[in-house]
Amino acid sequence: MKINKNQIGLVAALVTALVISPLTIARAADTPTLGRACSAEGANTGTSTDSLVCKSVGGKLIWQKVRLGANYGTPVSALRAPKGTIEFHHWRPEDKAVFQTIIDKFQDANPGTTINQVIMSSVDYTNLAYSKINTNKKAAVFVTSRGGQFDQFYKGGLLKDISDQRYMKQNVIQSALTPATVSGKVYGLPYQSLFNNPIYNADMFAKNGWKVPTTWTQLLSFCKTAKSAGIIPFAWPAATRGNAGQILNSFLMNADSNYATMAAHVAAIDTGKEDLQTDWFKSIANKYKAMNDAGCFPANVTGYNDTAAPADFAAGKAAIYPTGSFGISTVTKLNPAMSGKIKMFGMITTDSKPLYEGITNNTFILSVNAKASSTDQKIANAFISWLATPAMAQLYAVGTSQHVSIINVDYSANVDLLNVSDIMGKKLLLAPRFLFNNVNGVRNPLEDALIAIGGGADVNKTLADTSKTIKSNLGA
Amino acid sequence: MIFNFSRRLLLSIFAIAVIIPTSIVVLGTFKSDFEIYSKPLALPKSFSFNNLKALFDTGNISTPFKNSVIVSIGSVFFTLLFATLAAYAISRMFNITGKVLFFLFSLGLAIPGQVNIVPIYTLFVKLHLTNSLIGLILVNIALNLPLSIFILTAFLKDLPKEMFEVASIDGAGHWRVYRSIALPLARPAVGATAIFLFVICWNDLLYPLMLINEQSKKTLPLTLIDFRGEFATSYSMLFTAIMVASVPMVVMYLFMQKQFQSGLTAGAVKG
Amino acid sequence: MSLPALLIYSFLYLYPSIQNLLYSFTRWDGVTKPQYIGFRNFTYMLSNDVLFRKILGNNIKFTLFVVIFQTAFSLIFAIFLAKNSKGNIFFRTLFFFPTILSSVSVGLMWTFLYNPNYGFLNAAFKAIGLDNLAVNWLGDSRYSLLAVAITQVWFHTGQMVVIYVAGLQQIPQELYEAAEVDGATRWQQFKSVTWPMALPTTAVVVAYTTIQSFRAFDLIYSMTQGGPLNSSDLLVTNIFNLAFVGYKFGYAAAQTIFLVIMILLITWLQRRTLKIDYGVKS
Repeated sequence: MKINKNQIGLVAALVTALVISPLTIARAADTPTLGRACSAEGANTGTSTDSLVCKSVGGKLIWQKVRLGANYGTPVSALRAPKGTIEFHHWRPEDKAVFQTIIDKFQDANPGTTINQVIMSSVDYTNLAYSKINTNKKAAVFVTSRGGQFDQFYKGGLLKDISDQRYMKQNVIQSALTPATVSGKVYGLPYQSLFNNPIYNADMFAKNGWKVPTTWTQLLSFCKTAKSAGIIPFAWPAATRGNAGQILNSFLMNADSNYATMAAHVAAIDTGKEDLQTDWFKSIANKYKAMNDAGCFPANVTGYNDTAAPADFAAGKAAIYPTGSFGISTVTKLNPAMSGKIKMFGMITTDSKPLYEGITNNTFILSVNAKASSTDQKIANAFISWLATPAMAQLYAVGTSQHVSIINVDYSANVDLLNVSDIMGKKLLLAPRFLFNNVNGVRNPLEDALIAIGGGADVNKTLADTSKTIKSNLGA
Repeated sequence: MIFNFSRRLLLSIFAIAVIIPTSIVVLGTFKSDFEIYSKPLALPKSFSFNNLKALFDTGNISTPFKNSVIVSIGSVFFTLLFATLAAYAISRMFNITGKVLFFLFSLGLAIPGQVNIVPIYTLFVKLHLTNSLIGLILVNIALNLPLSIFILTAFLKDLPKEMFEVASIDGAGHWRVYRSIALPLARPAVGATAIFLFVICWNDLLYPLMLINEQSKKTLPLTLIDFRGEFATSYSMLFTAIMVASVPMVVMYLFMQKQFQSGLTAGAVKG
Repeated sequence: MSLPALLIYSFLYLYPSIQNLLYSFTRWDGVTKPQYIGFRNFTYMLSNDVLFRKILGNNIKFTLFVVIFQTAFSLIFAIFLAKNSKGNIFFRTLFFFPTILSSVSVGLMWTFLYNPNYGFLNAAFKAIGLDNLAVNWLGDSRYSLLAVAITQVWFHTGQMVVIYVAGLQQIPQELYEAAEVDGATRWQQFKSVTWPMALPTTAVVVAYTTIQSFRAFDLIYSMTQGGPLNSSDLLVTNIFNLAFVGYKFGYAAAQTIFLVIMILLITWLQRRTLKIDYGVKS
């Protein structure tokens, strides 16, 4: 059969069509449209009532309308507060001015009602807040951090059940309520949505032609590349345990092939049933060593604290600052020129297909003091509902460069918040570091050990010593 | 020869050791966070008063300053009042009661203040003394009585017996002797202890942190907290606050050196 | 007469301390009710607690270092500055200056100086060629305790200098003149005149320095928080940690009792060896 031009043309057209259409479909999947196919389950386009999420419907992944709240309703306005004065206890001195603006507006809307901020630095708050608030009826609204502190307050009977409040159902992203939920009831509003993933200097990466590492091997080789260019690859603040421990989240998220296995290991170590010297934990420790060997960290990293690390990142001496979205405002305050150059990536510590692409956390849990007088409780509840309105939440978010767990907040006024919002579209895990309940007896020594190993200490000896300490802590 | 050389060398080294950290703080008052970190010892690029302005504007420093003054002066006054009374009584009691009392008060020297936070806090809540300057003053008195009584008792004990015996022979009661003999004689010790105590009360952080909730009752050290953020510390503001808080101490120190130094030795030295 | 002092003191100091004593026989997390467990806290502390032993070791090393160096330096400086010349008074004043600063300020200042890559200390060492002294001060578990101890000595030496100067000035000049006539060298004069005559002062300096060193909570809190790996943890900081981070108020109270007894023992021993008289006998 003679193949004539027309037939070739037809075949060509067919082939092109066959090749192009999947591409078109793929591209269509990239631009989220309601009802169209999508590729990454769990990805979402934002935190508004008209955002979309990629969900499996009858076996196919399709963009659906996201249901962030308990229903599809829109956020409700705030409650009115009775007259009176209460105290608002929290640990963010850097947010004092923004909170005061929000409080002033609240007081204008509720004449005769006053709220006084009582602030302690976060270290002191962790240590002293319970003692202070437990005996202070006027501390009607306060915050707790996810995990140990929240549990302590819950056990002490200080948290009021606010599950049935309308603003809790309609203004808050429901998945953010997990840290404050006990036996199906909600005892607080986790206000801050953090993304505990490294931030990087996008400008520097672009200028040097570097690519963001997406596997463990790429990460180690990136370190070598950056180091030879005279740049500190990871400005890891190892001297301050609280900040140094953020990367542990990333190591845990992809430590196993499924979440349950990882959680089981963590629980076992937390209660002393599993030792640090077994393979599971040792492999994590060895990865810290590998990062050190690849030159990822600056010299004397165990003396490198949370003043030095963001300073170097802000000065353009370091490529990556591995803490989280909460580090952004520190960096931009140090060097305003960094604003707009910061982006975020998920730290993947495996070479196989990652289970999760990033970490998120919900903390700064606002609660009503169950031991306060009923009037004060009403004021506290009204104040929380005030903070839960999109307008006020937006004020807080943009003013303090943090994401919040409230629906319909528009982050575009803060370019840095906007630049890291793309992480929200990835498959995120709620920070597993907080699965360790025994902070003083187990988690702190464990993190200290990893810090030492990251600083070059011998893996076996450090794990052996720490194991002994943990055993003796658990025995007391 | 060697002596003079090593004398000069050692003195200079320690002098430099004192000057360097101090200048970091002093110069830091006029620098930005960034400058402090990158060039801590250099002269500020421009002597910017931004930090000071920010501190006075947002920190509202006049109220904490006033509160610190009230608490410090109040604590020192009452501590010394009670301490001199107790020291006089103990130094005149040549029996077992005196020894027991002295031991009891000295026990306080061995117990660090931080460990009593929770019991004192719970107690104060019951007494409605939290969030009050009076509560702070009471805590300070309790914490500082041991040291004051220790110093004053040793000093009074050192004075020749005759001075007191003369008065009692004349028929003067204990209170007269206390007022007209013991107190005047103890003046150097009291003066120095006063300054010493003032520094301790002025710089105290932990108890005000626990006890004070209201802005209007904050003391000066609590303003330092405002600069220790959750994830990073603003050293520029912190240093500025430290400077402002230290100025009264420095001024007082410069003017009252003699008492400061002589009082420390009172009760320390057996002549 | 001593009544008001006694009242306030007992109420606000002794009573909470007694409460502490009672708590030391319980297991209490600060929230639920305390559980009576007898002497278990103490037996555990003394036999099984690895961390406790390490911290006790830290504390002893720290106190020894501080007492020896602070006493030695203050004595040496006092000897240098004993005469009341203008220069001497200037130096005495300068050295005394750190004492009036708050411990938090001192801790923060020195954290800055100790920065291993940019801090003044290491920069100075490198500049004069002593590179191997430029270590990771606060970040290395081998050096952190030393670093804090050095800061503590810096903090309080000036105070002790003043005490020593007063003590030295009390020594009659004739004794020195007599020794010089006898042909004694400076060192011999020190051994036979200065040291024995200053012994009471030394006793006070040692006792006070000891007590100060056991209470160095603020300094550690602002510099290392006890790390790395508990290498700069003292008994005081561990007690605070156990109570407020570990929610083990009972065990923390037990360690407090231990701390108090230890301080009392040490000061009593010092009294015996240095033969000083705190007492009220005339």
